[in-house]
Amino acid sequence: MNTRSKNPWKRIFLYLFVFAVCVVILYPYFVMFTTAVKSNEEMYSTTAGILPKEWKLNNLIDVWTQAPILKYMLNSIIVAGGATILAILCGIPAAYALSRMRFKGKGFFMGAVIMSQMFSPVVLLVGISRMMSAIGLKDSLLGLILLNAAFNQAFAIWLLRGTFTSISSEMEQAAKIDGCGTVQALIRILLPMAAPGIITTLIFVFINSWNEYTIALTLISTDALKPITVGINVFYGFNMIQWQYLFATSIYATIPVIILFLCIEKHLVAGLTSGGVKG
Amino acid sequence: MNKSAKIQSQKNGANSQTLQTMRKVEPYIWLLPSIILMCCMIMIPIVNVFRASVTEITKVGVYKEFNGLANYASILKEQTFWNTLQNTLIWTVVVVGVSTVFGFILALVLNVEFKGRKFVRALIVFPWATALIIQSVVWKYIINADYGALNALLYNLGIIDKYVNWTATPGAFFAWECFIGIFVTIPFVTFCVLSGLQSIDTSLYEACDMDGANFFQKLFKVTLPLVMPSLTVSTVLNIIYVFNSFPIVWTISKGDPADQTHTLVTYLYDLSFSNGKFGEAAAVSVIGFVILAVCASIYMIMTLRAERED
Repeated sequence: MNTRSKNPWKRIFLYLFVFAVCVVILYPYFVMFTTAVKSNEEMYSTTAGILPKEWKLNNLIDVWTQAPILKYMLNSIIVAGGATILAILCGIPAAYALSRMRFKGKGFFMGAVIMSQMFSPVVLLVGISRMMSAIGLKDSLLGLILLNAAFNQAFAIWLLRGTFTSISSEMEQAAKIDGCGTVQALIRILLPMAAPGIITTLIFVFINSWNEYTIALTLISTDALKPITVGINVFYGFNMIQWQYLFATSIYATIPVIILFLCIEKHLVAGLTSGGVKG
Repeated sequence: MNKSAKIQSQKNGANSQTLQTMRKVEPYIWLLPSIILMCCMIMIPIVNVFRASVTEITKVGVYKEFNGLANYASILKEQTFWNTLQNTLIWTVVVVGVSTVFGFILALVLNVEFKGRKFVRALIVFPWATALIIQSVVWKYIINADYGALNALLYNLGIIDKYVNWTATPGAFFAWECFIGIFVTIPFVTFCVLSGLQSIDTSLYEACDMDGANFFQKLFKVTLPLVMPSLTVSTVLNIIYVFNSFPIVWTISKGDPADQTHTLVTYLYDLSFSNGKFGEAAAVSVIGFVILAVCASIYMIMTLRAERED
């Protein structure tokens, strides 16, 4: 617990531990990369080495023509982007009311928001798919946008409320005295000050929706509407799995998300836990 | 502040009553978009599921008549259901338990200053950020018995002399699924605890050092109580997520062999979308809600009690 331990044995033990952790974490990514550039024969070889014998870097380019990967990616961008915008547009006013106003049922609403976390889309799938077919959104990107936005609403409100609460309302009050309306005060004063928190929320909802698998798997049947998480199943045939293309696609689907995540990691965790403590 | 209040009250004057009702209604208008979104997309499916659980439904999804608790009765008769329930409890307790302990230790280590700490912190984000389905597919390849990467690795390192079938039994399948679950859950715990650790005042530890406290005394008397709130948040959220987690089990074993490795969510997915038993699947969903609701209320009661003690 000392921020700096001086005992050399402790140091060595620490580095060994950290090294082991790094190796285990990186292993699946190592497998993903090395398998993505293997030839089909080597893939199923029972005498393979740790590294590919022949590096077929072409796989990483060929994969784009093997399946409509670009289409899947675009679908993912539409779904995740749409869900993010919707979740934020609904979340900002709600978080604003929760952090700046007193009203009856505030506690109840907060409780309901937290409870909504308990109902994951998977357990509701029977109800969701019935409702979506009833309103004709079963096999559509709009349906995925609405669902992803709704199931991320709790997190969006949680993170945004935490950000708004941490900003003093004095500036807004001053603006109101100067004749600024509530909405104007929110847009001109609070939102710019809350920008880091809002960006964190945006990215977090985007990643969640990008990575979502189960709803899309159940609702989408048209190939041209599949997001990337479901689309990669094309390489997953009944008797033949094209692992190299599966992993090449996975690389493309993973890298942008990891980069985005690294940008917000610090803010995100602070937001999650502070929201919880002060609940 | 005083001045503005006066100006406002003067302004309000005559139509203060309408203004007051306006002010009472206003917060709800702000909440409205969010409420509409959540009601339509979450509440309606919840109601739907409850209704479906007490309705006779045909294989193609046509709702017939109310059949009381028949769906529940037929589910409770299934041996698979009880297996599944047991699996779900083991899955949740093992994954949340192990990743909480390990994530906590990792956070303690990462709170020590050392070269490359930033790099390691960035690395730990990886399993959290990667889509669960992708993570699961990679592990499915790694543990493949015939050409899997783990066999190749261990064979080439000389640790094994012939390829091992890592998933020979349902138990082995399930153990791997738990391992992957732990692997992807640790980062969240670590980051929650780290944020708690960083808010601890270092002077507390200096005071402990002066009093001659040892490592474990500091750990249990200072660190643990102070990171408890972060740890509680991460544990509660993880219980919900892990309980409801679908892609890992679905990708690695699909509940097979012989339905031995299902958890509640894969079981209900299998029931509804592979076997067309929508009513029974809805009943399983409701049972799942009840279990989570009991856990959530225990948590609520505990936090309320803790707050009262403060």
